[in-house]
Amino acid sequence: MDVHLKVRRFNPERDTEPWWGEYTVEAEPDDTVLTALNIVKWYHDGTLAVRRSCNHGVCGSDALRINGQNRLACKTILKDVGKHVTVEPIGGLPVLKDLIVDMVPFFDSYRAVSPFLINDETPGERERLQSPEERERFDDSTKCILCAACTTSCPSFLANDQFIGPASIVQAHRFMFDSRDRGAAERLEVLNDGDGVWRCRTIFNCTEACPRGIEVTRRIGEVKKALLFNKVR
Amino acid sequence: MSIYRTPRAERVRAQGNFELYAWFFMRVSGLVLLFIAVFHLLYMHLYARVETIDYAWVVQRWSHPGWRLYDWLLLTFALSHGTNGVRTVIDDYVPRGLANVVCKWTAFGLALFFFVMGTQVILTTKVPAAALALLRLVV
Amino acid sequence: MASMRTAGTLPRPGLWRRLLGILRYRGHEGQWSWMLHRAAGLGIILFLYLHIFDIWLIGLGEETFNDFLFLYSHPVFKMFETFLIFGVLFHAVNGARIILVDLVPGMTRHQRKLVYIETAVMLIVLVPTIWVTLESLFR
Repeated sequence: MDVHLKVRRFNPERDTEPWWGEYTVEAEPDDTVLTALNIVKWYHDGTLAVRRSCNHGVCGSDALRINGQNRLACKTILKDVGKHVTVEPIGGLPVLKDLIVDMVPFFDSYRAVSPFLINDETPGERERLQSPEERERFDDSTKCILCAACTTSCPSFLANDQFIGPASIVQAHRFMFDSRDRGAAERLEVLNDGDGVWRCRTIFNCTEACPRGIEVTRRIGEVKKALLFNKVR
Repeated sequence: MSIYRTPRAERVRAQGNFELYAWFFMRVSGLVLLFIAVFHLLYMHLYARVETIDYAWVVQRWSHPGWRLYDWLLLTFALSHGTNGVRTVIDDYVPRGLANVVCKWTAFGLALFFFVMGTQVILTTKVPAAALALLRLVV
Repeated sequence: MASMRTAGTLPRPGLWRRLLGILRYRGHEGQWSWMLHRAAGLGIILFLYLHIFDIWLIGLGEETFNDFLFLYSHPVFKMFETFLIFGVLFHAVNGARIILVDLVPGMTRHQRKLVYIETAVMLIVLVPTIWVTLESLFR
């Protein structure tokens, strides 16, 4: 079938303003939006810049705003979005070229929540054991692939780039609610801020945008409650 | 470490629990307003009807101190809830710099001004001579 | 490296561009109700300022107060009144939904349904109130 693609283009060396590139490509209904973009890049216009890697929804490289909503291009099937597809870079981050945004501010917020296991206790003779229930507590937030679809769908982040963003809160949740971790207090200190968890307005765009099906708003709510009741588990 | 420096990384975070309390206050005052503001609205617009309300009606209503207390509580909760909402909106859309400070203090100033105005009229049902003189000067 | 990053990127968009960017994102019930909640809240606090002022006029005596109240029976203001009633009731039910989602753990899964339930609840109260409000115009 013929697919009409409208792609947001911007070349920093030539353009002062972004513009729309329009392409008609021949693709199968079962193909993904990423395949269609690849067809454009390989056969129509080689100057199109798009970031992609694994093509299987795991690396988190190709989060794009497709028909107004954040999705992974490699997980979006053409027949689900129709014959007219509008593709833009995700919002709120500086555009480097075409569909590629600068992820540095995003990863900066990610780093701010210390996304690694913190435990200064002397290691025992064997592994730190965990019950299935304890593992279940943070299972949802382990699914995050850091694609930034949630953070860049959030009206609070689109308005104010100081906001730490849903992705970083989910990452903090991943470790805070891990029974082996002892770093909850320092993460909560970072999140207990006007630009931390309290800039969330329970809008649910993040939950709907997450390509991994993480209940993002729910996890943010759990962090808020941990702060409110001063208790993690 | 990263070679990049962004405003986020350079931010100093030492705000205490203010935002937490503000968030919690919005829920508590919201619940209170859910009852007293909605009752006020339905009482005035559905039961009493706006057209029948005049000077005599209000004076009659305020002859009971309970209504004065009710109206003062409504004033206090509505203004504080609303002003905190405005502060939130300002932090969302004008997050930085002088504009942020000016907008916020304008909102706080308006809240204080109207709080004093409302409290004064609910308590005394009169405009003080000084305010009247000031008003004459302007009008 | 650092200069490469900043050289060609688009500048950070201004306030209006950012607001437009939010409107252009195609969110669903959550985003619509959030936008309406915010607009209603700002509208309500503006009316609150006016309302405190008009009640304050009571202190200037019967004549001034009753003269000013004439404003509220003007057809144009009647239209604003319906907006106000809608705004207060929507802000109330939507605020209740947010508190519910915040407090009850599993509620996030039903957030879309809750928006429709709150709208139904609001309409049950809204319709008679608007009816009574506009009825005076046709008498």
